[in-house]
Amino acid sequence: MIGSRVRATVVAVALGAALASASDSRPGPHLPSVLLSRQLAARAHVSVGDSVTIAIDPAGTRAVTVRVAGIYEPTPDPLRFTAQRLEAHMHLPDLIALVADPADPGSREAVDAINVKLTDPNDAGRFASDLRMRSPAVTVTPTNRTRDDDPFAVLDRFHVAISIVTVVGATAFLLALMVIRAEERRETIAVMRLIGISRRSLIAAVAVEGLLIAVLGAMLGVVIAFAAEGLVNRFFQARYDTALVFLRVTPSIAARSIAIALPLGLAAGVGASWPLLRGDILSLFRR
Amino acid sequence: MTSLWLAWRTTKRYRVRAMLAIVGVAVIGALLFDMLLLSRGLLDSFADLLRSAGYDVRVVAGEGLPIVRLPIAGAARLAADLRALPEIRDVVLIRIERATAQAASHTARTITIVGTTQTGGGPYTIVKGDDLPTSASSLDRCPVLVSRRLAASLDVGPGSSLQVSVRPEGIRSALPSIACRVAGVVNFYFAAAGEDSVATTMDALQDALGVPADAELILVASRPEAGPAAAVRAIERLRPDLRAYSNEAVLAQFNQNGFAYFRQISLVLSSLTMAFAFLLVATLLTVSVNQRLGEIAALRALGISRTRIASLLLWESALLVGAGAVLALPLGGLLALGLDRLLRQMPGLPDRLHFFVFQWRAVIMHAMLFAVTAAAAAGYPVWLATRLPIAATLRREVVG
Repeated sequence: MIGSRVRATVVAVALGAALASASDSRPGPHLPSVLLSRQLAARAHVSVGDSVTIAIDPAGTRAVTVRVAGIYEPTPDPLRFTAQRLEAHMHLPDLIALVADPADPGSREAVDAINVKLTDPNDAGRFASDLRMRSPAVTVTPTNRTRDDDPFAVLDRFHVAISIVTVVGATAFLLALMVIRAEERRETIAVMRLIGISRRSLIAAVAVEGLLIAVLGAMLGVVIAFAAEGLVNRFFQARYDTALVFLRVTPSIAARSIAIALPLGLAAGVGASWPLLRGDILSLFRR
Repeated sequence: MTSLWLAWRTTKRYRVRAMLAIVGVAVIGALLFDMLLLSRGLLDSFADLLRSAGYDVRVVAGEGLPIVRLPIAGAARLAADLRALPEIRDVVLIRIERATAQAASHTARTITIVGTTQTGGGPYTIVKGDDLPTSASSLDRCPVLVSRRLAASLDVGPGSSLQVSVRPEGIRSALPSIACRVAGVVNFYFAAAGEDSVATTMDALQDALGVPADAELILVASRPEAGPAAAVRAIERLRPDLRAYSNEAVLAQFNQNGFAYFRQISLVLSSLTMAFAFLLVATLLTVSVNQRLGEIAALRALGISRTRIASLLLWESALLVGAGAVLALPLGGLLALGLDRLLRQMPGLPDRLHFFVFQWRAVIMHAMLFAVTAAAAAGYPVWLATRLPIAATLRREVVG
């Protein structure tokens, strides 16, 4: 029932440049190691191998010197993409030695959170109940989300709704253009019908034309989306100093766009030319 | 005949394409209007929600992570100390727990129980019954206010009995349930949709917990002459281990973090919809002018000035964009209702929080953006029509 591996990750968040500053002293042989986030390392102007002092407050209380063992890119978190990731990772005993209150022996036993990886993830609910029963004061939160409690599932539906509205607007635009185009060719169609070209052939011609315009338009849209992907990601990644990917144009999204464009183009082409194709030939000559 | 009248006649003459253009602009305009509402809607709604509680400073434990509330050590004593500060008018202690509630012959339901020292009006509207009594005047061991949803599902009302046990459903616990009496049925401002909530006195919650429990949140009302900033400074001086936030600080933090996604999507989609509306109208007008080159050359040959031709095309653009923009407002309102309902399905969101909030500023901005679009969209067709070589165009029309 209880997971095979218990992992405690302790993160000293937002230490700030004032708390992590390069020290003049040379690194000693037994200095504790620390990993700094890329953002914190850049702000504090430190690199791997430097020794820095870390304290629990800006006044430098209980300051200790540690060695920067590495610099890491924080795992992108879409729920915190605007937060400045000024973070450091230390070994748990080192952090406890730093923050524990000497007057309170119990503080050496305390952690903020324990991450647990279960042997069988399906046991999460039962494990949570069991743990709450044994330790009523503990808050147990499964990290995997169902579709119902996932805010990104709601955002997904929001994006779909917006894209539907955009498609409706674009369809009206396409239809207006096709109507203008049909009007331009009123006399050409009249002549073609007069010389005996069947309505079926003319319908097929406008349908193919509508399809071609839709396919070319959709493909151009996909190309623009692919080109914009890098620009948008680079802009927002620079804006929020994160490695989070904001926009990803996948083949399935591209295929879905083209699949939606095809019937719309076909319908717009045929719909706009329909009055000219089924009307009386003389009326096409305005007679 | 004025330019406006001439533009109206032209629009009527090409009514199918004009209708389609207006529909396109209206749909895109509705989306633009919604994005303008979204750009500040959630922030305004959140500000209303915060202010509805009547307190302007929130105090939490210094070590508290955003998602986990930690008890504030010595909260009762701290409340007394805070009340003695000259910057502070009122102090309320709050603790929130998961619990189960059961009424006769109904299955137990998991609830959120809020213990509070606040009496006489809180972040809720009383639908039936009375408010929580002050502890001094009450003989009830556990008076409770229940949400409308819970009252309906347990079929209880003012005066009904309710067994409350502070333990999540399905968890065995040695804590006994306590008998509570429903004082009133309320709408909680901060309750999430689908959440069953109960409010009671802090004493009753401590009874249910079986131990004296510290508050997790302290709400503070500053004195008007001091203001929330002075109250925050005073609290931080008194207890440096705690964190005190004024409503403005909470809003600023929310604007910076929680609201950033909606601000960005609003900006991106507003820009895209404007570009789309510009393209739509500019293309239609350009094609329309190209079809009417002969007609425009004839008007010029009759002595109609370039300014008048430009004015005619500007009015045509204004008619298409104006009609679309006006239609976009009710359409956008309806769309906003749907999108708001959709976004409010996010888990844990207070029922009173809205993403799309009507503001006159959004209407004015919408009108201004469309005026700019109409003028810009007419730019190229106007240039085309006013630079037209009259004789060559007429000759080409006749020969063609």
